[in-house]
Amino acid sequence: MSKTKLKFPLWLRKVGLIFTLLGPGLITASADNDAPGIATYSSSGSYYGYSFLWIIVMITIGEVVIQEMAARMGAVTGKGTGDLIRERFGVRTTTFAMLCLLLANLGTTVAQFAGVAAAGELFGISRYITVPLAGLLISLLILRGNYKSVEKALLFLCLSSLAYVLTVFIIKPDWGVILKDALTPTLKMDATYILAVLAVIGTTITPWGIFYLQASVADRGTEMSEYNNTRLDVMFGAGWGNIISAFIIITTAATLFTRGIRVEDAKTAAMALAPLAGEFSSVLFAIGLLGASLLAISVLPLATTYAMCEAFGFERGLNRPVREAPIFYGVFGIITALSILVVLIPGLPLFPIMILSQSLNAMLLPVLLVLVLILANDKGLMGKWKNKLTTNILAVGTTALILVVTLILFAGQIFRFG
Amino acid sequence: MIYLSKLLNQKVWDAFGHLVGRLDDILVSSTEKQMPPITALVLSHAPEGADIIDARNLSSLWPSITLKTDITKVLPYQEKGHELPLKQRVLDQQIVDLEGKRLVRVNDLQIARKGDAFYLTGVDASGNGLLRRLGLEVVGKSVAKALNKDNKTHVIPWEYVASIEHDDPLRLSVSQSKLVQMPPADIASILDDLDQHTSKALLQGFTNEELADTLEESSQEVQQAVLSHLHPERAADVLEEMDPDEAADLLADLDDQTSEQLLSLMEDDDEEEVRSLLAYPEDSSGGIMTTEFAHVPVEYNVEQALSFLRSDADALEDEFMYYIYLLDSQNKLHGAVSLRDLVTAPLDKPLTDWIDEDPAVVNPLTPQNEAAYLVAKYDLMAIPVVDPNTNVMLGIVTVDDALDTVLPTAWKKKLPRFSGK
Repeated sequence: MSKTKLKFPLWLRKVGLIFTLLGPGLITASADNDAPGIATYSSSGSYYGYSFLWIIVMITIGEVVIQEMAARMGAVTGKGTGDLIRERFGVRTTTFAMLCLLLANLGTTVAQFAGVAAAGELFGISRYITVPLAGLLISLLILRGNYKSVEKALLFLCLSSLAYVLTVFIIKPDWGVILKDALTPTLKMDATYILAVLAVIGTTITPWGIFYLQASVADRGTEMSEYNNTRLDVMFGAGWGNIISAFIIITTAATLFTRGIRVEDAKTAAMALAPLAGEFSSVLFAIGLLGASLLAISVLPLATTYAMCEAFGFERGLNRPVREAPIFYGVFGIITALSILVVLIPGLPLFPIMILSQSLNAMLLPVLLVLVLILANDKGLMGKWKNKLTTNILAVGTTALILVVTLILFAGQIFRFG
Repeated sequence: MIYLSKLLNQKVWDAFGHLVGRLDDILVSSTEKQMPPITALVLSHAPEGADIIDARNLSSLWPSITLKTDITKVLPYQEKGHELPLKQRVLDQQIVDLEGKRLVRVNDLQIARKGDAFYLTGVDASGNGLLRRLGLEVVGKSVAKALNKDNKTHVIPWEYVASIEHDDPLRLSVSQSKLVQMPPADIASILDDLDQHTSKALLQGFTNEELADTLEESSQEVQQAVLSHLHPERAADVLEEMDPDEAADLLADLDDQTSEQLLSLMEDDDEEEVRSLLAYPEDSSGGIMTTEFAHVPVEYNVEQALSFLRSDADALEDEFMYYIYLLDSQNKLHGAVSLRDLVTAPLDKPLTDWIDEDPAVVNPLTPQNEAAYLVAKYDLMAIPVVDPNTNVMLGIVTVDDALDTVLPTAWKKKLPRFSGK
């Protein structure tokens, strides 16, 4: 209920308008390039060169299909993913699914704070200052409910990921080789490689992305007659997010991989932007990383809390006082505080944590995907909007792919190959 | 006390200890009653003809489900179409708790025996219900013991819940009649928590006036969502029923084309009032004032004033009537008298006795904060808004509207959204 309207200069309002026109799909997809996303893509590009591009191609298809399912469920039922899981599968399955979601989101929130820490350290500021400060600031903004103004500024900072696109055009890589690698599947049988594959999958298709997208579509009250627009938005969004991801891999592959530099931390990751920004590359990288992390911190813990409270029927909402919704505020507080504390563990390596959290995401994803697939095929729930055969083939394929990769990883650990 | 979660999937035995099947669901009928009777059991793994059996077969539900007769003599049940399957349609769904005035999820259902029959008695929405479903009741008990707290399961009686499924018109209308008895602010807060399809279906059954009252208390998101789902003609009717200042606020947040369309569909005098309010900034006294206030000619005495108020259209539209404003023929403000003073005064006393040399007033461009400050400082229930040049009275800012920004009632709803406003 904003009684006051801020007056922005015209050009800024136009930028705002562009963001207003962007639908939830594009937003969710841009969130692929959050801090752990940037870390994961940079690292895999620097370790494995262009050979990771084919995974991006595969996963784009998977993401489009899965996000579209989530959006369609939101539009048809008007309900959140957590609601539907609870109403269809009962308490036990819901509890299991919610524990998986909590674990995945806790890992990702830790990764976002690690992103803040890494960005701060590029400026020479200790994580013991930046991380608690960021947590406090964002939490306050959320709880006071006036973070809307900040949100657009953060989105604006995230545009710095476009720097990767510019860099690619400066370094002029061999597009023939890139195209060939993007279309040739390659696999290596060692644990680090498989963890990296999982991380790339887990940072692109996220459990929270599914929940968030469905909730935003449901809240908007999309009419099914206009569903095609939503579908387009989702598909375009996933495509756009993954084009940026591909450009991050191409940049790091062309600038770092070829020179034998491996991304281990923010400093090496920033070097990828040197052809564009020279000595300012670490500033540019830090700004992008910070914007992406803060944006995700402002959404992720809250979205997780909402999903859990909805599924279990606890009182929720920022318009309620703490005494009416103790569990809501409690869960929100615990997620935030715990994530901050983990990042503050002395000597915790930030980049590996960011990447591993995304591998964990991928391993937990099949649980959610199976439930979503059952729901999206439920005729009673979805009516004539239930999944078509192609959607099912692609979605089941994606789920199976993730499961197989995860199994290979664990089998590899047991039988010690690679 | 019997709970549905304890019964589902349990074996069902006949009178001679033969296994009939497993309990899959329970059907109740007459759900509008205080305690709907259980009419049938749905069984799985049952022999043909015994998938749905009449509840009159039942001998006991707890500790074991047994029938009165032999398996071959079981009465089958013919569905009549109005039965409510508890597991499928109630368990795990959202429902409105009319006692607590909130939306809850059905964690379990309570069943009781009365004489020879079984009845649905209540809804368990508590954490204990959740733990029971997980088979972890012991945990709840020991935690409560450790914290030295009373671990009583709170069951909401069935008559105090309203189901909100939008695809069941019969039950929805029962729920609607229960819901409209709640204060509009509570309905509004429940609507905020509901998904759009359901809230739309719920509101369909409200009268224009009930809808207007609810919308006045709702968040901007709900207001817009509801309005956009109504037929424009009906939306305009609802806007007419709303306080003009609330209607103006709502219209100001819509896009120009829609608000223009709705305005033109409204009755002329309502339209004019709302339009005049729309001209002022949202956070000014003019933006939050209402143009509905009671006034009498300043030259009247108490008796004349009282009879004037009984018939005057403006007075009848004033919902609160804290004060009666004394105006002259040019509508200039001369003073105000509280309704209490007017009612308790001798009938022949002239109103001019109440003329205030220096009344607290604001002009339409006075900031809302300033109006709130004056209202609080002088302990007013409403403050008049007058034209600073002519002293013509334009409206009043009531205490609740003035304090709206000081005490925000609804900050931010639902998930953070990047899009939108």
